[in-house]
Amino acid sequence: MSQQQTTAEPERILIVDDEDLIVGAMRRYFQGLGYVVDSAYELEEAQALLANYQYDLVIADLRLTGIGGVEGLQIVADVHQKCVDTRVILLSAFGTPEIERESYNRGADAFLHKPKAMMEIAQVAKSLLEQ
Amino acid sequence: MQEHRALNSILAPGGITPMYQPICAVDGTLPPQLAGFECLSRGPIGTNFEAANVLFDYVRLKREESLVDRACVSAALTRAPRQENIRLSVNVHASTLGRDRDFVPFFIAAADNNDIPLNRLTIEIVEHAPPWDNVSFLTALAKLRENGVKIALDDVGLGQSNFKMMIDVCPDYLKIDRYFIERCDTDPNRRAVIEALRSLASRFGAQLVAEGVSTAEMVETLRSLGVSLMQGYLFAKPLTAEDAARYAVASDQRAARPIMSPLDITV
Repeated sequence: MSQQQTTAEPERILIVDDEDLIVGAMRRYFQGLGYVVDSAYELEEAQALLANYQYDLVIADLRLTGIGGVEGLQIVADVHQKCVDTRVILLSAFGTPEIERESYNRGADAFLHKPKAMMEIAQVAKSLLEQ
Repeated sequence: MQEHRALNSILAPGGITPMYQPICAVDGTLPPQLAGFECLSRGPIGTNFEAANVLFDYVRLKREESLVDRACVSAALTRAPRQENIRLSVNVHASTLGRDRDFVPFFIAAADNNDIPLNRLTIEIVEHAPPWDNVSFLTALAKLRENGVKIALDDVGLGQSNFKMMIDVCPDYLKIDRYFIERCDTDPNRRAVIEALRSLASRFGAQLVAEGVSTAEMVETLRSLGVSLMQGYLFAKPLTAEDAARYAVASDQRAARPIMSPLDITV
C-alpha cells in the first residue's frame, strides 16, 4: 500500500523519540508505506524541524528526557502554533489518565500506550491523515 | 537516552562543514569583481543539521550559540581561501559577543593560527535575541575594531536587526535581507526600503551588501539604487573550500572574472 497512489505528493511525517531502535523501526516502516519521514531525538531538534518544514503528521514520544519529562506536550503546542492542520499522535509507556486527558486538551489527535504494534500506529496515522 | 547527542555530533571534529559564498562588487564598467566570501556552515552530513536553518534554530533553542559559533569560526578560517585581497565574513550571534567574554581572544587566536590578518575579516552579527549583556557586547565590538576587524549587520530589515542595533553597532556593512532583494526590480515598496537603507548607510558611513541576488534585473535595479556589493546564486552558490579556492585564484589571475559564475553580467 503506498500513500503515493492517492496523493500528488507523499505526506511528510516527523517521528520524535529518544530511542534509536524505535526511531529506526518507525522510519523504515513508514518509509515503506510511501511517506517522507524525518526524525528527531530531542525536543529542540524537533522544534527546529517544525520551524522549517511543514508536516502532515507528527508521531512523538511523550517523554524525551527520562524520568518525569512530558516534552510531547510541548511538541503538540508547537505543532498547533504553526499549523492547525498537522495531526499529532503521542506515544507513551507511562501515560496516566490525567496525562492522556491533558494531551487531548492540548490538541493531540491520538494518544497511544506503548507497547503498540507498528501496524496499529500506522492505522491510526492513516485514519488521521485521511480526515 | 539521546540527549545532547546531536550537539556533540555538531561540535565533534568535522561536524561543521564550512562553505564559502562569493560577495561580488558590481560597478557597471567591469565584470563582477570578487570582493570576498561569506563563510557559511553546514552541520554533520546526513543529519537534519546539514540544513543551516535547522542547525542554527536548534543551536539557539539549546542556547549554545557561543560553542557552535566558535566551532564554525574555527572550521571557516582553517579552510578559507588565502588570497590577501579578499575579505572573509564570518557569522557570529550577538548573544555570543554579549555572553562569551573570551570570544574576542579566541577569534584573534583563530585568525593568527591560520595566518589570516584581522583586517581581512568581517564579523557578521546575526541577531536573534538581544545580547545577554549589552556592555560586554559593545566592549567586544570595540576590541574587534581595535584589531582591524570590520563589523556587518546581517539580515537587516528583519527581526532583531533593527535601528537600535544599528545605532549600537555603527556597522561597516549593512547586509540587506533577501526578502527585500527578491522582486526589487518589480516592487516599488521593496525599492523604497532599499533606498531608505542606502540613506541610513550613508549616514553611518556603511556599505550596503545585497543578499539573494538571482537575476540580472535585480542587479540593474540594485545598481540604480546605489548598491554595488552583491551575493547570490547569480554569482555563485555557496562553494566548498576547494571550489572557493579555485574561484579566488581564477578571479585573481583573470582580472577578477569569476570563471564559475553561472552568468557573466554585462552592465
